[in-house]
Amino acid sequence: MDPSVLFSLRLSIQVASAATFFIVLIGVGIAYLLAMKRFRGKELLDIICTLPLVLPPTVTGYYLLVLLGRNGWVGRPVYEWTGWNIMFTWYAAIVASFVVALPLMIKTTRASIESVDKSLINASYTLGHSELGTALKVTLPLAKRGIIAGTILSFARAMGEFGATLMVAGNIPGRTDTMPISIYAHASSGDWSKANWMVVFFSLISGLLLYIANHFSRKTI
Amino acid sequence: MGLSLKLQKKVEGFTLNVEWKIGNELAILFGSSGSGKSMTLQLIAGLIEPDVGIIRSNGSLLYDSMAGVNVSPQKRCLGYVFQDRVLFPHMTVKKNVAYGWRESYRPEMADRVREMLHLFHLEGLEDRFPSEISGGEKQRVALARALIGRPKALLLDEPFSGLDRPIRLELSLLLTEIRNEFDLPVVFVTHDIFEDYALPDKIIVYSGGRIIQVGSPNEVFDHPCEAEVERLTRFHRGMGPSYR
Amino acid sequence: MKGFLCVVLLLGVLFCVQSPESWAATPVNEIVVSAAISLKDAFQEIGKVFQESRTGSKVIFNFASSGDLARQIIAGAPVDVYASADHKDMDDLDGKGFITAQSRFNFVMNAVVLVVPAKPSIQVESWEALRMELTQRIVIGNPSTVPAGRYAHEVLNHLGLWDVIQEKLIFAEHVRQALDYVARGEVDAGIVYSTDAMARSKEVRVVLTAPAGSHRPIIYPIGLVKGSRNDELARAFITFVVSPTGKNILKTHGFVMID
Repeated sequence: MDPSVLFSLRLSIQVASAATFFIVLIGVGIAYLLAMKRFRGKELLDIICTLPLVLPPTVTGYYLLVLLGRNGWVGRPVYEWTGWNIMFTWYAAIVASFVVALPLMIKTTRASIESVDKSLINASYTLGHSELGTALKVTLPLAKRGIIAGTILSFARAMGEFGATLMVAGNIPGRTDTMPISIYAHASSGDWSKANWMVVFFSLISGLLLYIANHFSRKTI
Repeated sequence: MGLSLKLQKKVEGFTLNVEWKIGNELAILFGSSGSGKSMTLQLIAGLIEPDVGIIRSNGSLLYDSMAGVNVSPQKRCLGYVFQDRVLFPHMTVKKNVAYGWRESYRPEMADRVREMLHLFHLEGLEDRFPSEISGGEKQRVALARALIGRPKALLLDEPFSGLDRPIRLELSLLLTEIRNEFDLPVVFVTHDIFEDYALPDKIIVYSGGRIIQVGSPNEVFDHPCEAEVERLTRFHRGMGPSYR
Repeated sequence: MKGFLCVVLLLGVLFCVQSPESWAATPVNEIVVSAAISLKDAFQEIGKVFQESRTGSKVIFNFASSGDLARQIIAGAPVDVYASADHKDMDDLDGKGFITAQSRFNFVMNAVVLVVPAKPSIQVESWEALRMELTQRIVIGNPSTVPAGRYAHEVLNHLGLWDVIQEKLIFAEHVRQALDYVARGEVDAGIVYSTDAMARSKEVRVVLTAPAGSHRPIIYPIGLVKGSRNDELARAFITFVVSPTGKNILKTHGFVMID
């Protein structure tokens, strides 16, 4: 197989894995907050976290550009301080994938946590276990299936991210061309044979991931 | 020892306004559904907060709205058996019971768990999951779990719902044993007529969020102070003193 | 539930109902013009004037990189007129039989320039400055699909810089995107058409024009796409573009006339 195709594949997996790692860490936390706590601005948090799910990826990409570009709100101070900027690097691809896939994790996990019997959680409190202890020993283990399904869905979405990634990471062969971007580039320049390989491969992987995710969502404790 | 409280809470058109106290005895909160009995238990446990009130357990203050005291449910050291005997479905019987161990001293825990399993006749079931044991067995696990941490009082919400008569009898005897063995106040909530139950020391009758009578079973059955009490105990009164 | 079904039904109806024009018995007098994105501002103005001079006519523009547009036409997109920023894509279409015989005209020329952000973070004053370590990011169009990228490649090759600055190159999907990156300050420098630099003269600054002979002449061809459904209007449009009026408009946008 062509080395550039291999590179794109490896890059896609790396980007998706890194993004999913952060998605699990942060997504489970946010989902827990939304499921269990009542606080001012909760609905707003929910909307902001869900937005990337309904916004076109180019809009999400635009927001990331405004935030992380060299002249961006976050990008500018970082650039002035360190001379480094995240745009056009594969780290930007991780951020783009993180942002668009996070809502999936949050939605699935939140629903799972909310379905845990409140009496179980209360029982744990009366037995002397702190909120954190209960979350780790009771709530999250019982929400396990939803969390796993969410992780797999997020990974699949992160692998397939294109629009936002193109805007902030760009199409730099050998550096930021993840598989979706590589497919686009090859198709644009008429190199259909390479594009076809990747399209088939990608479809198979995504299908497989969906199958596994469904398997986990189907059975509930 | 003992448990005393004075509570007020208003929630969506329902007002709870109760005051009672018990020593190391077996007390029943009795009344029709929705009269505030379960809410009282939840308030005692600290799972919900009263509007105004004071709760004392074993001499220490658990809650005092005037003084701004509100001990967290974790620290109230009360045993609570929830309605429908909620056991952790992803833990074995042994792990469920061990979960109630409050102290951090681990070596002693193993012994205590074994002791509780023996006391509640759960030997042989240690590695089963809650879905694999009967209703009566689940109730005993819930009790073992609630009591292993040496709580200062035991609260039970509808402990006999869904259980057959012989099991109920067995469990009610178990409760008197617990009252004697552990020497703590035991409060249980029921709306069901209790002709089969071992005699409690005290009956606290609830109606519409208020207490309408407090007394020994004899006093309540033979001398109901209100028409409502009479209505609630109607089925039992025929059996009266002869039950003894 | 009933309310929900009503909403779904309404959405379905809205989908079926098309613009009022589709209900009219008479067909609309319109053409689709696919043009290289560097022609955007000039062609939009030309389109306006053209439509005013021929009442009832409508010109629909489709702007993208010349390569993408050619690909669309090959895939069967219903386009009437095609204008690209160099002859490669036009030759490609012509060779494949997509362009009507004898309908091709070269109508304008352009120049290629080195631009920097109006508020740059580093000073780039010459082509050689692109070698500097400080110059970290340089944007050009993607040479595989964007003519401006190909011209940039030629210039950089001619100056002996192409291999040296490979690592710093960012490829844009069309020349206006390259311009945008420069305008936003996301890159240290970029190579675009002089007409693009003019379009956003407040946000980018032209440092230098590509030296003579560093690239092939940038000649824009325009042609009639075979199978056009409105041959007459399409031809009229092309005639208008190459007329003195059309050429004047192009001149005001910075394009160079073919002598």
